[in-house]
This record gives sequence, structure tokens and C-alpha cells, in this order.
Amino acid sequence: MSWGIILGLVILAAWRPVLCAALIITFDFYWIIRTLYLTTLLVLAHQKLYRQKNRNWLADCRALSADKNWQDIYHLIIFPVYKEGLDILRPSLAAIRDTNYPKDKIIVVAAFEERHGPSREMAKVLEAEFNDYFFGYLTTMHPDGLSGETRTKGANATWAAKAARAFLDEKDISHEKVIISCFDADTCAQKEYFGCLTYHFLTTPNPHQASYQPIPVYNNNIWHAPSFARLVEISSSYCQMIESMRLEKFVTFSSHSMSFKTLVDIDYWPVDMISDDSVVYWKAFIFHNGNYRVVPLYITVSMDVAYSTNFLKTIAMQYKQKRRWAWGVENFPFVLSRFFNDNRIPLRVKVWRSFHLLESHVTWAVWTVIITLLAPLPVLLGGALFHQMPIGYNLPLITGLLLKFTVGASLVWILLSRTILPPRPKDVHWVKNIVMIIEWSLVPLIILILGSTPALDAQSRLMLAKYMEFYSTEKKRKVV
Amino acid sequence: MFSEQRIRAVLFYLSVAVFFIFLPFILSSALGYKFDRRNLKFTRSGLIFLKTQPAGASVYLDGKLLNEKTPATINELLPGRYHIRLELEKHYPWTDEVVVEAGQAARLDKIILFLLRPNAKQLNKARFTSSWVDEEHQAAYYVNRDDNVLYKSDLNGEHYEKLANLIMLSPAPVKYKVSFNREKILYFNARQLAVVAINPDNRFDKDAPFILNYPDSTIVDAFWHSDGYHIIVVRENQIEVTEARPQAKAVVLARLNNKNSPAFYDNRSDTLYFLDTQQAADGNSYDNLYKIEMSPSTFPWQELMKRKNNEPKP
Repeated sequence: MSWGIILGLVILAAWRPVLCAALIITFDFYWIIRTLYLTTLLVLAHQKLYRQKNRNWLADCRALSADKNWQDIYHLIIFPVYKEGLDILRPSLAAIRDTNYPKDKIIVVAAFEERHGPSREMAKVLEAEFNDYFFGYLTTMHPDGLSGETRTKGANATWAAKAARAFLDEKDISHEKVIISCFDADTCAQKEYFGCLTYHFLTTPNPHQASYQPIPVYNNNIWHAPSFARLVEISSSYCQMIESMRLEKFVTFSSHSMSFKTLVDIDYWPVDMISDDSVVYWKAFIFHNGNYRVVPLYITVSMDVAYSTNFLKTIAMQYKQKRRWAWGVENFPFVLSRFFNDNRIPLRVKVWRSFHLLESHVTWAVWTVIITLLAPLPVLLGGALFHQMPIGYNLPLITGLLLKFTVGASLVWILLSRTILPPRPKDVHWVKNIVMIIEWSLVPLIILILGSTPALDAQSRLMLAKYMEFYSTEKKRKVV
Repeated sequence: MFSEQRIRAVLFYLSVAVFFIFLPFILSSALGYKFDRRNLKFTRSGLIFLKTQPAGASVYLDGKLLNEKTPATINELLPGRYHIRLELEKHYPWTDEVVVEAGQAARLDKIILFLLRPNAKQLNKARFTSSWVDEEHQAAYYVNRDDNVLYKSDLNGEHYEKLANLIMLSPAPVKYKVSFNREKILYFNARQLAVVAINPDNRFDKDAPFILNYPDSTIVDAFWHSDGYHIIVVRENQIEVTEARPQAKAVVLARLNNKNSPAFYDNRSDTLYFLDTQQAADGNSYDNLYKIEMSPSTFPWQELMKRKNNEPKP
């Protein structure tokens, strides 16, 4: 569909340039309105995050009525690990240790891949360091090449969750009282995270019919990361914050939490799909006949900015990461096929959710192409007649207006970016504050490289049945 | 959350409303339609596109100053004739009547605004009798009137250097030509052709200047061959080639029926083009354009000259 739109516009640019220009102007105007709308949502999400920044969630849990006993709730945290080293894993586990939630209600699973050589050695080191802090500390080694599986994070997480289930059953802990959080290996939870999660779990109607999504920020190494990578990850956080305001289409992403009972009911994460974080939501959505939602948690979990040793490698790495995210388009055929065989979910809901899913992926794949590459085409291919018509002159003017508007909106993004930054580390010069404002001028370059191309690439691969394997993003953290 | 979702719903429907209300106006304006508030209908309009060199001129439309400066697009003009005036400080204003047609753009993109006082710059530093520009080498040459010395500067009149003391010719030379290797200069009047080495560092002392005399016919033109050693001399009755040295014997390339035949020399291909009159079979005379290829690969004239002069090849 994305290619259809792009090729259709190219053909129209040569064949019916006026119609093509009118469509592009319509899209430009739509994009201006959309940017304005989404930026407003971003401001609202920021406000909410700011308001709840210093909230004592555990105290709020204690203040709940007696029938909502927070002390009954156990937290199971799974860290699926592939090639991440101790420098990445240690701070993530330490962050869990340092939360204010009672550790005798926390079970941690370090889920390693057996195929990765140093896994056993790392597991031993971490076990020695963290075993005594939690109610349970499990290490799992996911075997390679299990029947029906592909090399994905979901397969590893599922193996770990099954091991955790055995542990819970052995301890006679009800699955209904367990909230599972599947965290990327570099995820550092805030001190109040489990309090916040518990509060929402206990106060949400039908808590087993909901996933709980924190706001991912990439603060672990943000001050040390290069500008390009930093801006891309800030934009990712923004996207997630905006999505948190659009509840009817909100889907789990990256590190998230949910009821363990529901996870078992839906047979865990998919073991053969890359976008396990969103597919698990759709599995639950279909299992609960469409009565399933994602509850946004206005509390952050901090992850690493992905970057490499030089600029080009960083671009390549970011590109691959975004392409993996864009591979979430595999959800569409998955969801559509399930919807097709389901007669319990209302048709209206099926159509609406399918449309949202398709629209978001198609828009992602075409917007940069339309705005930057296709917009000048009617002028270039339109011929002499087009140049004699008013639209031939107005098309570049309106496209230019869109760019000016984007620059204006980016001023808001710059201001907001300052509010989610962690304090400047001592080894970072204060001049970096200025650099981090000036670097926003890179936005057009980022849009050009990482705007639509990863999504178009992912969709083309899916179209041509060139399936992707899970690519573990390299993480770097400066040891201070 | 509820209140935020309510705000969000309001924002969403507001955005949708803004999109659908304003889109027809934006599209119609882009397509060249103007909304007529009195009759509440869209009328097809045209536009004027103005681009000037230099940019930034103020635009007056029928005497009214517009906010835009060039390059400017004046939109939503009803069909008709408009008076345009462009003004830029220290430049001559530009005015014209422009006819705007419905659905059409009047494109005026080749407007040059000329300076009121062109900033002409004098390049020479002394009085000269002759001067010419060598574009290929970004140089200007001058023959000083007082001492008959050849000077060179760059095209900004900088980096002056003395190249050669020229021999006086009487009457004064009509043309000066520097060889393609920039090592010699020839100049001539009707009866004499002088050759002088350009040796600012006195590196060519052995190449003493000399004069070739043509007492019996007028020199029309002369050209350097690309080797910088041969000279093609167009005289009133013949075209000949000679070596650039004293007492060199010339070889006649063509006899001319027409006196003062114009000639042109293409130094890239060493080809001489000239005009001459020939009598045709019908008894009438017609002008013809001829070409002689002079490149060593196509014209063995060096061997020819060597045979004639019985002298070693230079």
C-alpha cells in the first residue's frame, strides 16, 4: 500500500501533475494539522508526567481500601538478555534493587540465550551479586533451535516466563497476584516504578484485562551519546508520550508490564515474531474479545541511547533499530487473520483497530517521501503547461510553509526535551547544554534518513517475504 | 485521565473541523481560484511571478506597495491588465504592464535591475595604445603608449608585470596577438609584422625581436599556429605560412582572388577558415568559404617548408 501510494503519486506527477499537486497540498495541510495536534498531546503528556514526577506511589498504595491490599502483589521482572554485557545488566538489576518496593515481593529472572558464549559466566557473576536481595532470583538459559521458534526476544522471554511459572507454582503464589514486567536488558526502573504499577493495577477496573506501559526515556547515557542518536531517541520518547494520550490505539512497546495470569492465559509472548512487545498486546486483545487496553503509566523507565563508534555506524545502528520497530507492520496480517476468524469482537472495533494499525504504518512509510521527494515532482515532471498554472507556483510555497511550521513546532520539542533530561553528569561540560539545543538543527537530516526509509524497507521485506531476524541493538555506556 | 481525554477529543474534532473547513480554500487558492465574498462563489484567477537580478526589489501593483519582495508571487489576481513597478535602492526602477489571464501564471523571471551608477573599474594603470583580454588565461594585456612596453595584469587590474619591450612600427600596429604558449607576441601594420619574445625574466634573450617586411602587398591578418613557432599571414592576394624567425621563407597556402578576404583561425583544431571569390561555370563570381586544416597530422607543411628552405626542422 505504501509503495502503491508512492508510485501512484510519481505516475500522477507526470500524467496529471495538477491532481498530484493538489493531493500533495492536501497531505501537507493534513500534516500541519496533525503536527499541531500531536504537539499539543505531547505537551499534555509532559504536563502529566511532570505533575506525577515526585508522587509517592507507595504511600498511595497504602492509602487504598483494605480490599485492595497492595502487599499481596508480587512483581516478576524478566530481563531477556542476548549480547548485552555486565556493564549494561548490572545497573538494570541494581535499579530494581534500589526501588522502594519491598524486595520480598520481587522476583527477578535474568533470561540468557544459551547460544551466546559468555552467558553462563555473566549469569554466575550476577547471581552472586543480586541473589540475596529479592524474594526470588532465577537464571534461565534459553536453548537455541527449539521447534517452532525463531531467534527472537519473545522466545527467550517466554522460556523465562515458563520457568518463573514453575517457581510461582512451587511457592504456591497465585498468578492473579503477580504482575510481570518484561524489561529490555538496559531498562532501569525508577524508585517508585513498582509502587506506581501496583497502584494502577489495583485501581484499574478489570486489571487483568490491561497492560501497563511506562514512558521509555533514553537517559542512561544521553549526555554521552552523539547528537544524532540522542535526537532520534528523544523523538522515540516523544512518540511514546503522544501515543500514551491516544488510548484507543495505544499498544505496548518495549519494556512493559501486565498481569501474569493474562500472560499465561494467552500462552505467553509470540516465539516466532520480532515485534513481541506489541503482538502480546494483540493476543490479549483477541483473547479478551476486544476488552483489553493499555494503561499509560506516567513514570519513566530509562534505557540506553543506541550508538556506535562513529557517525556512519551510529546511523546504520539507528536505522536497523527503527527498521526492527517498523517490522511491527507484521502485526497487521497477524491481527487481520485473527479478526477474520473471530466473531466475538464487534465488527466496528475490528474495522477501527485495523484501520489505525494500517494507517500508522502506512503514514510512517510515506510521509517523508511525500514531503521531501514527491512534493517537487509535479514541478519537475509537470511540463510547460504546469509551469504556466498558478498551482505550479503555489505548490513550492505551501511546501515551504510546511517546513517553516515544522521548524516552529521543533522549538516546542526543544523546550520539552529539557524537562525529561536527567541532571548533567559531572564529567560533562556545561557547554553541552548549548550543543543539545543547537543539535536540533539536525532534525531535517534525521527526518530524511530515518523518517520513512526504515519503515519502507521493513514493509518491502515483508511484501517480498524476506523475513527479518531479531537484531540486538548494540548498547554503549560510558563508565564514569 | 478523563479530563485529558476530553481535552484530547475536543482537540481532535477541532483539528478535523479545521482541516475540512480550510482545505477547500487552500486548494482553490492553490489552483488559482479566488473566493468572491460578495457573490459567495469562487472565481478563477491568475498570478504574476516576478524574479529579479539582484533580488529584494519592492513590488508595486497598480501603484500599491506589496509586502513581498522579489522573488515574489502575486496570487489571486482577477484577469486583467496590471501595472507593475519594481524598485530597488541604487538601481533603475523597472516598470511594465502585465496581462493576467484566468488560470494562468504570468512569469517574469528574467528581469535585471541595472545600477544607477555602474561600478565600472579602471584596470590599466598607465596610458596605452592597445589593450586586449585573454579570457582563457584570465589576463589583460596593455601596450604602454609612452614607452611601447607590453604589460600584463589579471582581470581585476592587479598583479601587473612587464612582459616585453616592443619594437616600434610605423604606422602604428593594427593588431597584437600573443602566441598560444604565451611566449611570443606578433603585431602588425599594413606592411610590417613584428615578433617579440615575452620574457619578463629575460629568459629568452637569444630570441631577439625581428620584423618581417611585406613591401609589395598589404597584411590583412595574421595568426599564431598552436605550436607558437609558425605564423599564418593573410595578405591581400595570398595566404602564406612562415616561421617566426628573421629571414624565414614563407610557403603560400592559397592565392586569393578577393582582396582583403576575411579569415578566422580556430586554434583548438589548427584550422584556417577564409572567404574568397571564385568564378563559376556560369561565368559569375561567387563568394565561397574555405577551410585549410593546419594541424601537423593533417597538413605536412613543416616537411614542405623544410624541403623548400633546405633547412633543419626547428
